[in-house]
Amino acid sequence: MKKPPYIIIFLTLLQSGILSAQSRFVKDTIDASGDSVVVTATRTERKLNNLTVPVTIINAKTIQQNGSLRLTDILKEQTGLNLTSGFGAGIQLQGLNPDYTIILINGEPLVGRTAGVLDLNRIALGNIKKIEIVKGPSSSLYGSEAMAGVINIITDASMGAPLTIGLRYGTYNTVDANLETKLNTKNFQYQGFINSYNTDGYSIRPNSNSRVTTPIDRYSTTQQIKWELSNKTNFVLNTRYTNERIQNEIAVANNGVTIYSIGKENIKDVNVSATLNHRFSKTLKTSLRTYTTTYDAVQNLLTINGLPYRDVLNHNFKRIENQTDWELNKKLQAIFGAGAVWEGVKSSRYDSEKLRKQNDIQFAFTQWEWKPSEKLTLIGGLRFDQNTQFASAYSPKLSMLYTLNPQHQFRFSIGQGFKAPDFRQLFLDFTNAAAGSYSVFGSAQAQQVIARLDALGQIGNLFPNYYLLKALKPEYSNGMHFTWDWKINPSSSLSVQLFRNDIKNLIESQQVGTYITGAQIYSYLNIGRAFTTGFELEGKHIINSNWSLNGGYQYLRTGDKDQIADIKSGTVYTKNSQGYSRLMKLNEYVGLPNTSKHKLQVKINYNSPKGYYLNLRAIYRSKWAVNNNNGNEVFDNGDVFASGYVAINSAAGKSFKNGVSIQGGIDNISNYIDATNLPNLPGRTFYTSIKYQLQKINNNK
Amino acid sequence: MKMNLQKIAMGLGLSIALVACSKDEETIVVPVSAITVKDLAADTVTGLGLDGRPQSAGTTTYYSLVDNKVIASTDAASTKWDIAFSSTKILINGGTSGPGIGSAFVYVGLFDALKTIPADSNFKTDNANAASFAIPLGSGKAWYTYDGLTTLVSPIAGRVLVIRTATGKFAKIEILNYYKGGVTLPATASVNDKLFKQRYYTFRYAYQPNGAKTF
Repeated sequence: MKKPPYIIIFLTLLQSGILSAQSRFVKDTIDASGDSVVVTATRTERKLNNLTVPVTIINAKTIQQNGSLRLTDILKEQTGLNLTSGFGAGIQLQGLNPDYTIILINGEPLVGRTAGVLDLNRIALGNIKKIEIVKGPSSSLYGSEAMAGVINIITDASMGAPLTIGLRYGTYNTVDANLETKLNTKNFQYQGFINSYNTDGYSIRPNSNSRVTTPIDRYSTTQQIKWELSNKTNFVLNTRYTNERIQNEIAVANNGVTIYSIGKENIKDVNVSATLNHRFSKTLKTSLRTYTTTYDAVQNLLTINGLPYRDVLNHNFKRIENQTDWELNKKLQAIFGAGAVWEGVKSSRYDSEKLRKQNDIQFAFTQWEWKPSEKLTLIGGLRFDQNTQFASAYSPKLSMLYTLNPQHQFRFSIGQGFKAPDFRQLFLDFTNAAAGSYSVFGSAQAQQVIARLDALGQIGNLFPNYYLLKALKPEYSNGMHFTWDWKINPSSSLSVQLFRNDIKNLIESQQVGTYITGAQIYSYLNIGRAFTTGFELEGKHIINSNWSLNGGYQYLRTGDKDQIADIKSGTVYTKNSQGYSRLMKLNEYVGLPNTSKHKLQVKINYNSPKGYYLNLRAIYRSKWAVNNNNGNEVFDNGDVFASGYVAINSAAGKSFKNGVSIQGGIDNISNYIDATNLPNLPGRTFYTSIKYQLQKINNNK
Repeated sequence: MKMNLQKIAMGLGLSIALVACSKDEETIVVPVSAITVKDLAADTVTGLGLDGRPQSAGTTTYYSLVDNKVIASTDAASTKWDIAFSSTKILINGGTSGPGIGSAFVYVGLFDALKTIPADSNFKTDNANAASFAIPLGSGKAWYTYDGLTTLVSPIAGRVLVIRTATGKFAKIEILNYYKGGVTLPATASVNDKLFKQRYYTFRYAYQPNGAKTF
């Protein structure tokens, strides 16, 4: 243990003093049955059983018993979700890249994506009440990025144990320490959470550039205050701060010559939201939300015999919005919302790291829920987003629920999602001096920059694509989801889901010209069309009062529609093992890279009334294409694949009556390692943890 | 099956083209057979530089398509050679590269399917001064792609280099492999293998000695 969390010990002493004033303690339980309340799907509280769209809930007990520390740990064990590596750990939802899933904390979006990926290792799971995953386009409620779906992390605002301390130690000197306090009076609730995560990192590849393998010191804290101003009005304040330091000393030896370099990275992430809720009557309520977040990342690389490299990214996002819920009658409810966003980025990869690039958004949305009968619910929604930097977007969605009988429920939804062009695609101004001096210019200024260079006589050729450069349109997806939920008997259930997403206007980098030296100039255009489709099966079976079994399977097909058209028209070639070219056949096409045809996970669970538990989780992912090795840019059977693999994780523990609980676990039991394609998967790791929950001091209120 | 036919055809000195064409075409096609050249070393790597890039002596390997042999670099200023290789760079004997009248262009399609060079083909000569080459330099430009992640060079499928030789005859070339033994290295190959097994060309070509644009 490198750094004992003294601060935590201090705060523990301080806060346990305060907490002797505890007034009440209600044990918080969440059951995974249809009575669970979901907020993400409709932006109102709805029971899982009454939702019209497919939603997965991961509750606190599952997170805790699985031994999950970071958001990635628990998401990779969900049906239809795959972890991606490169620029941090992102999540792929139903075959769509991490760019297309919006990540919310208590309903507010996280920012700070690198190449479209939000590193989900940033999010500690210590004080999470539940995670809600909505599959399918949800831009009709959330705007940009909610193309594949929404992941909403809901922190624990409930009244509970006044003090919880947790400490975990694992392989690679990984120390995770948590402190959570709760303070409740009649009108006031406070929750504070501090997490410290330190690891020596691991190097399954000596000169790996993946930062998960590097030593990390990461601190995060969240504070939540809820204040009941009256029985009709309350105020909620949420803050979150994360600070992450990474230092990596790299030594690369070749032919007796060793090159040393030091990489340093510091990431700060601050989120503050304040919400005022007011209920005018039983049928009318409104909330005013303000939110501000800043993501600040600085990278420095020092090489003993090379130029130092510095990369800076500062992203801020401010939003104010109002949402009003109106129940017209028992059968008809409506939501109205409107707001504005101010978003800006400074980066060393733009023309000046001192100049902030700005985009302002104004938006409005509405959603109508109509219940013509007990068996049928219909929801229609529409959102409009107007931006200063790119074209506006309309996002409609229709969904329905039909309850045939208590055993069978059918859900169908169809909607349009979008992802706005990001700042990199608009403003990048990057010339790679190390590799051929090629340049990439964001589309918002490419024509100006190139015209200026042309005036200086530096431009060789301009390609037809140059003249097509214009304001980027958002990327659009049309998604359809059909779900059948079947409660076979009180102890078994099965869910079948069919999905299809059609994506157009995909933004891709394209060469638009050359310098006089022949070096390439790239920019971004809306050109691609793709699809992802498949089905998911999820089943649960309670064997007896102690044992239960659940599992999920996803079958996925993906493809680039333009590439498929090219293959059909006979203009795509491939090579045989001797290197001879031949025409590629459609049945050799494997679809988009990094997508696997099959994903399966199975979990066996044991829980005893005495507080013992044990679980065994197996996750299988079939092979996926990673590299093209015949230059046709189309992925076929002959290209480079990462092998399919199985990871098996297990955890066991016991909760004692006095508030102490202990846990031990092994991740990746079979020690599966693929340093090139799975840098986020270390070999076999062990951990043990102890948690103490101070029990209620005075329970007779 | 196709491969077997080809081997038989090569063995007999007859091309499949002849067999195929003789049925429905009146014109007599002079048979040209495809020749495969293996492991032609082109400025192979001697070590890794401090900048992390491969080091080499900077040599060029000159080749005669007419005689199917390597030409000594002392004859670089002659018309004995038609094509030259130096790492991924390919030179044609003409323009700034040599005294010949050679030129070339990159044809998109299949080697066997290219039976007649299209009349409107745009043959280009090397012009080192303008950094413009008959076979353009760089990844994705002509015959290969370079993957920065795996650091591997892969020939692009469906690319034929159509060459006008130093003496004005025509030939077509398909690059088959860039690594020793004609074996594509896996992405997981060792750094040493990637370094020292590269820059060995395996290619097949057909040369038409009678000056016609047909193969």
